[in-house]
Amino acid sequence: MEKIILILALLFTNLIFSQNNYDEGMAQALELWQNDRPAEASDLFERIAIAEQEEWIPNYYVALVNTTRAFQNLDNKNVEDLVAKAQEALDKELNKDPENPELLVVQALIYTALIANDPMNNGQKLSGKVIQIYEQAEKIDPTNPRVILSKAQFEMGSAKYFGTDTQPICDRIEKSLTLFDTFKSEIAFYPKWGKEQAEQAISQCGK
Amino acid sequence: MRSIFILSILFFSQFLCAQTEISGRVVNVKGKPVMGANVFIEGTYNGDTSKEDGSFSFSTKASGERTLLVSFLSFKTTRLPMLVSNMKALNIVLKEDLNALDAVILNAGSFQAGAASKVSVLKPLDIVTTAGSAGNIIAALQTLPGTQVAGESGRLLVRGGEAEETQTYVDGLRVAQPYSASVQNVPSRGRFSPFLFKGISFQTGGYSAEYGEALSGVLLLNTEDEAEQNKTDISLMTVGLGIGNTQKWKNRSLSVNASYINLAPYMLVAPQNLDWNKPAESISGEAVYRQSLKRGLWKTYAAFDASRFDFNRESVELESKERIDLKNNNFYLNTSYLGNFGDRWELNTGLSYGYGTNHINYNTTKINNSENAFHLKLKVSKRFSDHIKLSAGSDLFSSKFDETIEQPEISTFISDFHTNIGAIYTEADILFNKNFALKLGVRGSYNDYLDETRISPRLSMAYKVSNSSQFSFAYGDFTQAPKADYLKYNEELSSEKASHYIVNYQFNKDNRFLRLEAYYKKYRDLVTYNGNENSYLTALQNSGDGYAGGLEVFYRDGSSIKNLEYWVSYSYIDSERKFKNYPVQTTPNFVANHTLSMVTKYWISNLRSQVGLTNTFSSGRPYNNPNQDSFMSSKTKSYNNLSLSWAYLLSKQKILYFSVSNVLGTKNVYGYEYASSADSNGNFRRQAITPTADRFFFVGFFWTISDDKKTNQLDNL
Repeated sequence: MEKIILILALLFTNLIFSQNNYDEGMAQALELWQNDRPAEASDLFERIAIAEQEEWIPNYYVALVNTTRAFQNLDNKNVEDLVAKAQEALDKELNKDPENPELLVVQALIYTALIANDPMNNGQKLSGKVIQIYEQAEKIDPTNPRVILSKAQFEMGSAKYFGTDTQPICDRIEKSLTLFDTFKSEIAFYPKWGKEQAEQAISQCGK
Repeated sequence: MRSIFILSILFFSQFLCAQTEISGRVVNVKGKPVMGANVFIEGTYNGDTSKEDGSFSFSTKASGERTLLVSFLSFKTTRLPMLVSNMKALNIVLKEDLNALDAVILNAGSFQAGAASKVSVLKPLDIVTTAGSAGNIIAALQTLPGTQVAGESGRLLVRGGEAEETQTYVDGLRVAQPYSASVQNVPSRGRFSPFLFKGISFQTGGYSAEYGEALSGVLLLNTEDEAEQNKTDISLMTVGLGIGNTQKWKNRSLSVNASYINLAPYMLVAPQNLDWNKPAESISGEAVYRQSLKRGLWKTYAAFDASRFDFNRESVELESKERIDLKNNNFYLNTSYLGNFGDRWELNTGLSYGYGTNHINYNTTKINNSENAFHLKLKVSKRFSDHIKLSAGSDLFSSKFDETIEQPEISTFISDFHTNIGAIYTEADILFNKNFALKLGVRGSYNDYLDETRISPRLSMAYKVSNSSQFSFAYGDFTQAPKADYLKYNEELSSEKASHYIVNYQFNKDNRFLRLEAYYKKYRDLVTYNGNENSYLTALQNSGDGYAGGLEVFYRDGSSIKNLEYWVSYSYIDSERKFKNYPVQTTPNFVANHTLSMVTKYWISNLRSQVGLTNTFSSGRPYNNPNQDSFMSSKTKSYNNLSLSWAYLLSKQKILYFSVSNVLGTKNVYGYEYASSADSNGNFRRQAITPTADRFFFVGFFWTISDDKKTNQLDNL
């Protein structure tokens, strides 16, 4: 009897401990990122990802942090390294769950970074892929605001360039805003970003 | 009570556990600090990012034997199992990841065009967007150093070699008839659509033992491994129309392309130097099927084309014009498998089959010929470590050629031959470190028709002198069976031979790329004959030889001026050979000593347009004037061609494309043809060999329709 209690207790404390540890670690990594220390944030997310093999969120952030850095370093030779880092982390999770809309959004963003970095060579090659990934993600979860927003923003770029009507795209950004308010996830540290971008984008829609 | 006691101890122990300070420094093999490495204890969150001086420090509650992991982008992840208490003042040396993109590359003699942009000279789209190339892969490659302007044949002439000396491979399998059918002095095009290939490697010398039966160069085309998306492409051009469709499923995809070309409407508007009875007309189709399997990828490529034309042209021999009528059918099929097996074994195997027939009428003479060509390939490689890879393979080339030449009421001549060439090769790739690589190979082949065995050694090495520059060297012996025109008359011949020596320097930094290459090529056993024309009567033998030596410069810059990409290539060549019916060793008529090409592409964002300009200049080429005593002592005037192209994006999926070749209307002359006998004044009459048209205009509309139905439906919601 005592043994069982002991084992249970042991398990329990470790569980609490590990969960606290995860929460703290993730919070700390997010804080690093917020404080403009993306390299350290990425490294901490990577450490957590290796320690917590069953969680997909840490690798998601490794990919997202490095993709964001790639966007900030366009026209710089680091882009390829950053994209490679992001892709490597993303692949680990996409292999386990190829239908996760949040992971698909990051995949589309990685390709978008490559297009932005070298439009002449990657534009034609990857634009179709990006659209296809967003369509896939939207089919899996039509209520995910980041899917709706990222897709709309990608389309906005070319619509403005070619002077086609942007109203349908603005409508979808509007829709994403309502989705941001209703979207809920039970998973800790589930991606939350996008609402501010959506608000900013909608303000440029002439409203 | 006791259990509560234990529990509380347990609980507190987690907090009370002693913290251990971990510290050290990360350096590379040269002892230089590595900044930004992630150093941590596996399974914990405890770690640090190395600072500018390579130092790191952190504390951990972990104890006992644990693994310290050090990860950094282009380095291998290092694993160091040890006692946590010993993780102090560590000096960690990161080993380079030899698979990383920036390792030294064996590239003497070669040009890459592909997605791995760091080593690419051309990008896949360059083929289509190079002004003057008109979507012809061969024309785009002719802007690279080492090639000659070959307006009258349209083929690749590499470093003093004839067109036949360069072989084309698709997915590693030989293409026996890589060019569209043509007759003398009418240019042909490459058969392949540039859109189907993800990578092109053009090797102007010193290539691997994997490739044989090529004296001067190999052109390696690799089809896309995977389709991007479902789409339909429609093209409407002044010269014809085309349609393509790609379907993609989970593990497989199929692309088909069909086009119909008819120059008749164009001829009405822009008359040419030829007098057409029936303007060039062709129908062609291509299909690629890709299937990814559990262990590898299986691809099948098939192409068919049928073309015909019929024209009259001035003949230097006859009072009246000569009439030439050609019908050609061509079929090519290729299927290949590339697989990875456990423990870094790789298998590459495939089969290609080419079938071509020509029906040509020269006035009353009828020529019918056909060629059947097979290539069977098997190659196995094993990577023993990051440093050593061994491969071995074999090829079987089999070709059968039949020809009937019928001169009504004079003669009918039938010739045929069937050759089988079997070859085996082996090669070792040794990467000593990130800066020094060596490739050693040997190829042995046996030709049953000529009954001969040839052994050809190959060697190449590269040394990286700094992050952005490297030197390479290549040596190789190459053999090739004489071309069909000779083999059909004589089986006593033996293979022609060449040896290449190449030194290469390249510098690559921030989207600027400089490549310098010097080479020397020695030819032996070239086929010679007597008399004016090669025929079954003319003592064919391997008594010729020759050399080519030269210096080439290539510079590409895509970053100095925003939105402008340009490249410049310059080739100097000194080449002489004794072959054909040449009485002495001299510079052949297809070699110009200096060739300079400039290709520019400028993206004008406001106009949604890309404007391209290509200028090609070459110095005069020798020709033989029988009115003079010495052989090949005359030279044509220099050649210049400025081409312009304009691509306008109507929308994301619609492109309007316009191009003009030879904008300046330069009257270019490739050489002169002389009558075989003198006229009554003792003069040999001559006729200039010129482009079929001084200028060529092209307007095309390209429309891609991708599978966007879902978007539309959602828009309506």
